[in-house]
Amino acid sequence: MRIDNAYFTRRKFLNSILGGWLGAVAASFISPIVKFVWPPYKEPDEVKLVFADYSGMQPGEVKNFAWGSKPGLIKRAPDGSFIAWVGVCTHLDCNVAWLPDKKQFFCACHDGWYDENGTNVSGPPPKPLRRLESSVEGEDLFVRKPGVGAKT
Amino acid sequence: MKIDMKKLAAWFDDRLALTPIFKYMTKKEVPQHEHSFWYYTGSSILLFLFIQIVTGIMLALYYQPTLEGATDSIGRIMTELPLGWLIRSVHSWSSTFMIAFVMIHLLAIWFTKSYRKPREATWMTGMMLLVVSMVFGFTGYLLPWDDLSLSATKVGTNIPMAIPVVGKWVTQFLRGGGDVTGDTLTRFYLFHVCILPLVIFAILAVHILLVQKEGMSVPLKDEIAKKKVPALPFWPNFILREVVIWLVLLGVLLTISLAFAPSLELTADLMAPAPEGVKPEWYFLFLFQTLKIFPANMGPVTGEFVAVVLILIAVVAIFFLPFIDNKPEGKKGKLIQYLGVAGLIYAIVFSIWSLL
Ligand code: HEM
Ligand code: FES
Repeated sequence: MRIDNAYFTRRKFLNSILGGWLGAVAASFISPIVKFVWPPYKEPDEVKLVFADYSGMQPGEVKNFAWGSKPGLIKRAPDGSFIAWVGVCTHLDCNVAWLPDKKQFFCACHDGWYDENGTNVSGPPPKPLRRLESSVEGEDLFVRKPGVGAKT
Repeated sequence: MKIDMKKLAAWFDDRLALTPIFKYMTKKEVPQHEHSFWYYTGSSILLFLFIQIVTGIMLALYYQPTLEGATDSIGRIMTELPLGWLIRSVHSWSSTFMIAFVMIHLLAIWFTKSYRKPREATWMTGMMLLVVSMVFGFTGYLLPWDDLSLSATKVGTNIPMAIPVVGKWVTQFLRGGGDVTGDTLTRFYLFHVCILPLVIFAILAVHILLVQKEGMSVPLKDEIAKKKVPALPFWPNFILREVVIWLVLLGVLLTISLAFAPSLELTADLMAPAPEGVKPEWYFLFLFQTLKIFPANMGPVTGEFVAVVLILIAVVAIFFLPFIDNKPEGKKGKLIQYLGVAGLIYAIVFSIWSLL
């Protein structure tokens, strides 16, 4: 049925009301589903290590620690402080290894190399290894994301 | 009591309306010409898909998709369960055969130009099947959860990150978070045994329905010449030939599976450095090598970004190939023929290169 001078029929009007309503109901489910399917990003802000496990390291020595679910690398600097990196290649995410005799970090996936300061020197890695901050606080050795700062 | 089979059949026919389907099968004809051999590629894929489903369900009876249990449960399948090693070997080899035949099927249709009007949608659903088949392989590769499969998955799921903004979402969706963890394994398992099977059946149903609706294509030159191509009845003549090919393929598959069973490495350690020789499955090698030849940075963007965008453009172009090749008998049609050859040579050369 069409009322005089109307742009559309009554059927068309009712169809779009029903269709629009169904569409809106469907759309309202999208957000909770998306939120559930994409979990919150879980990288830690800081991890606490036992200083005693690392205090005996020689300058230039590198050890591993767990940075959440990926490896971290921590190196003793000549002045006794620590330098830490996320031990994950900046190319495509493979875990890197520290090769003590070469004094370089090596990624076996596509032959990527970083020098002892974590700077990418050869192969596909486009960036240096990601730096983390570290500080000794009493018995603990804290490793933190840059800019997070100590929690008091 | 004697059951009247005729009556029983009539009862079912009444409810399910089967007669038209049987009638169709007996009336269906398959054209015979110099390229009809390639018609068997589609049904060969179906054979391997069927084997994947049967062996996959068998493996799933004992496989455990957890960080702690995955590798051990496969070890148990291979050492403790009767013929478990063979079931795993067949599942692994049949996946290789299936993808190989999907590729042969695609190339045969490319070279015979059977995708031309009115079979554009058949081709497009076919491209979707190719992608789904490859995702099947990619998700299955992680399930043994050893060092190699972990690193390969880290690399594979990191590739979308090359695309700004959306890439990060894709990666986090695939991994179930920022990193590859136990959640990734659970997710991949769910994709591999639930979501992808549902998807492949839905697309395959459309694909095969379209093939029935249009009938098999005839060679382009016969179509232009309006020549009548001789035909073979689908039932039983064509099916008989199909069954013979199935049996031969089954024999080859079993022989290879018996001789070359896949190995199992040590269980993956999320903290360990990547092992040497991280490689994806063979059908990803040419893409892997393509990514590798791009330099780290190309002006303002990363080389990876350029590579990923180029690959995406190629995939989209192939998806719409029937529309690009809208004058198959003309000059452009010839060129596209040669592009297919070039693409094949490219894929072979790059795959071999990646192994050097
Ligand atoms: C899981 C993967 C696939 C399965 C199970 C499958 C199955 C089949 C079957 C049974 C046929 C009929 C027989 C034949 O022509 O061989 C067919 C035909 C066809 N397929 Fe596929 N297919 C798959 C993937 C693909 C791919 C990747 C493409 C190309 C992008 C494709 C494009 C076509 C076309 C255009 C036809 C019609 C051929 C003609 O009429 O001559 N299919 N497919
Ligand atoms: S992931 Fe390290 S070089 Fe590619």
